[in-house]
Amino acid sequence: MATLIELERNGVLTLLDPGLGSREQEERRIYLSKRALEWLQNKLPQVGATWNTEVSPTEQLDALFYLFCSGQTITYDWRFKPLRSVELGIWELKTADIRLFGWFPIRDQFVASGIGVKRDIIAHKLYPGYIGECARFREQLNLDEPKFIPGDDPNVVVSNFDFP
Amino acid sequence: MSSFQISISPSRRVAARFIEGVRRALQKALAEEERENGVTQADIARRIGVNRSVIHRELRGHRDITLGRLAELAWAMGREPSFSMPKIRNAEGANHPGTLGVVPTAEVSGFMTQADGRNYSFVASTSAQTFPTEA
Repeated sequence: MATLIELERNGVLTLLDPGLGSREQEERRIYLSKRALEWLQNKLPQVGATWNTEVSPTEQLDALFYLFCSGQTITYDWRFKPLRSVELGIWELKTADIRLFGWFPIRDQFVASGIGVKRDIIAHKLYPGYIGECARFREQLNLDEPKFIPGDDPNVVVSNFDFP
Repeated sequence: MSSFQISISPSRRVAARFIEGVRRALQKALAEEERENGVTQADIARRIGVNRSVIHRELRGHRDITLGRLAELAWAMGREPSFSMPKIRNAEGANHPGTLGVVPTAEVSGFMTQADGRNYSFVASTSAQTFPTEA
């Protein structure tokens, strides 16, 4: 069994660099599975925006990673949650166009197992597939027990979640 | 140890983080108004003469927010929009690798003030960006 840091050192997971400024502290971390990493490297640059807006999907994700890793308040309102509990201790990080599926082994440490485009996930009903893939990856991962924080309370999995 | 960073130009990084930061400040202000004064999204839409769905799409990132709309939303929530562009401070002592030149670019921040003078930050700033520089 191994810790997140050991899995990263062994190349099983890749740590996301959120590109914080020189005076900013990384308060939360995101680790990427190989599948998630490949998606970011190969698929993301080709994803077109669903909405005719200035901020592209790539830029949306950069802003989301910045928000999450810099430790800023995650949400203020039930309608605009960039973090949502799905099921089985699996959570999704959200932008207007992109969904990341993963879980929290410990508070403020998110492991992303799969990433997809919102319109495709909804149009092709892919939520069960992403959830199942995430659960299987988590089960197979040689991670110290307990492998994830159960439940759906955001205040348990992240600090600074400003909503009941 | 390996890490991955999204490939994005420094200027677009600043722009996207600023835009999303402004949007989040609006979401926060709306949540506070609803909680404290019972003002709804529909009320705000009515005050500025648009359909509620327009406001909803703007706040969810499904539609761009113009500077004019930002001011309208602030007004409809009883707040005063404000904006500032302080100069980047010297990056001396930064944690960035020393192999790249550290070039101050732009720090963009702003705030909305409530009528009673309370400040609501929508700061979306980067203090310095690294660029390869000529020797």
